[in-house]
Amino acid sequence: MRDPHALVAALSRDRVSLELSTLDVCFLAGLHLRADRDALASFGDEHLCDLFEQVCDMVEPGAENPRKRATHAIQRLRDQRLLARVDAAGLARAGEYTLTRLAASIVEFYLADDALTRESLTLLTKTLLGQLAEVRSAAQRARSDDDWIQQVTGPLRITVGDLVGGIERRQRGLDAAQEEVQREIANLLGADWFQAVDEAQALLDKTTDTLAELNEVLLRDTHQFVALLHEIQDLAERAAAPQGVEAAAASQRVIEHVDRIAVWGDARQRAWSEYYQYVHAYLRDVVRLDADRALSQRLRDQLGSWPEAPFTLVVARAPSIRLLRDMSPRVERPAVLRSRAERDRAPEAVPVDTGAPELEALLERALAEGARSLSTVSARVLAELRPGERFLAAGRVAALLPRVARVRSEREQAWVRVGDGLEPRLEVEEWEVEPTSPNAASAGGEA
Amino acid sequence: MTSTFERLEDVVNDELFPEVDLWLRRGRHIGRGDAAEYAFLVDALDHLEPFYRRYGAELVHQSDGYFYLLPAGDRLGRSQLSAGEMLVGQALALLYLDPATLQHGGIMSRALIVQRLQSIVGVDALVRALNPRRRRFDERVAAETVRAKVSAALRGLVELGFVDGLSDDQYRLRPALMRFAEPVRQHSDPGAALERLIARGEVDGPELDGEGGDGGEEGDDDERGADP
Repeated sequence: MRDPHALVAALSRDRVSLELSTLDVCFLAGLHLRADRDALASFGDEHLCDLFEQVCDMVEPGAENPRKRATHAIQRLRDQRLLARVDAAGLARAGEYTLTRLAASIVEFYLADDALTRESLTLLTKTLLGQLAEVRSAAQRARSDDDWIQQVTGPLRITVGDLVGGIERRQRGLDAAQEEVQREIANLLGADWFQAVDEAQALLDKTTDTLAELNEVLLRDTHQFVALLHEIQDLAERAAAPQGVEAAAASQRVIEHVDRIAVWGDARQRAWSEYYQYVHAYLRDVVRLDADRALSQRLRDQLGSWPEAPFTLVVARAPSIRLLRDMSPRVERPAVLRSRAERDRAPEAVPVDTGAPELEALLERALAEGARSLSTVSARVLAELRPGERFLAAGRVAALLPRVARVRSEREQAWVRVGDGLEPRLEVEEWEVEPTSPNAASAGGEA
Repeated sequence: MTSTFERLEDVVNDELFPEVDLWLRRGRHIGRGDAAEYAFLVDALDHLEPFYRRYGAELVHQSDGYFYLLPAGDRLGRSQLSAGEMLVGQALALLYLDPATLQHGGIMSRALIVQRLQSIVGVDALVRALNPRRRRFDERVAAETVRAKVSAALRGLVELGFVDGLSDDQYRLRPALMRFAEPVRQHSDPGAALERLIARGEVDGPELDGEGGDGGEEGDDDERGADP
């Protein structure tokens, strides 16, 4: 089955649309009826224009330039794929045109009155049963792929599909007829309130009987359809030929159609039953009690004057039953406590030990000995200190170094270990160092 | 008609009793549309009338085909419909009488109800009736407020069994709507009919609660007024 999303997207992409005026629809209907009456397969150019003029005279009498309008109408219908040119003569001679399937469907929608009746439904269901029995026999005999395609899948798709489609189409016809009955009942009562009761009741009963009969036929026959289709499906699934799979899928599609028909019958019966009850209650309670329709007028007056003289209806209002919780002994939960204590310690004065003079001396010595990077300077300085002092001193070295020497760094500063084997293990971002004092500078490069 | 229930005990033991009893006490109107419950009440009426009388309430069975409980004393709580519920209820009763509604089997949309109210009561009176405390209105805000109040009223009327809520915007009319037409049911003077209904406790008149018993706070106008 084709993906509905893809189908809708394709229709949207192709910007499919139809724009038809009353004149266009009447023209199409005229063509359809003429073709039907005179058994015409196509219409010549001249014939089309003549017919358009006749339709135009009826629909828009006195319209100017009917010939020109005919030319435009024919082009418009061709653009919308409602008329198709069927000759291949091109410019050599005037064309031959025919109504497309789309045009025929539109016209049939307006002209067809094939609502479902007991007779038409019984005829359709009997024919369908006969067809399905034939297909089942063919499925029992089928051996090759050709047998399955020609005698099972083909008939299931075309003949059976058309018959089921015929039932569905007539169902839609009955839906429209029901809607019409509902409108008619409303109009009858609106026009002649009391006199219309019997007529409305008769309409109701007639439709109710029709629906009941149809449902009876549908209930009886759809079971048989589905049983036969399941048999065909089983045979197809067991078949050795690869085309059996296709036949099984075709059976499944028909089963789904038949299910839809059965669901339709059930749903309409239920909906009509509700409608019937409502209208019946209306006829009983409203029409008979308010024969002169004075109550409606008095109620209208009451509603109109209600804001000035309001009154309210009284209704019972018992509060919901209060459900009490189960009794349980109260449990004393100990509060969460913390022992009281003075947790803030008073600050204590300690002598400041920056170690700066000593460090500065060590730094200058390292530079004088030729250290030319932060890591080597740090390694030499830290090696002179105790392990516990080295971490703190590493930062101070980095702080003091720019004061006694010029430092430079690459954009990407590499992390380098300070002194092999020096504990604790420390890493610094590497700087290049260039001493500013002459003694240190004369010491040369890394020593 | 002979009842299938011999004693009140049989009625109370019926599996439908708890539901029906709760519905009645909560002010719901039970109509022919509630087929099983309605049939139960018809069957048990002889036992239930004296049963509810002991609570100081009357089990009313109207010829239009619905039941409801009318509290008369203090034993059972009572409330008055709000202004919105009264206005919408009367408009729905009018629609119930209108043969045009038969075309759709008595199914209405909220928009149609608002339209009908607007045409009968008038925009200005409708807005003021639904917002009695507000003096100035912006047209857009007023329209929104009316729609909101009508929706709230419809919800209340669904709870009380005056209409069936089919979806957010579809309602089916029920015979209980004829209660709104009671004051004008007879050809006699509507004022006198209203007085009779007030005396029976069916209706609270304007001297009791002119705005449908709203509680006094702004925005409470769509709330049902309750007596303790």
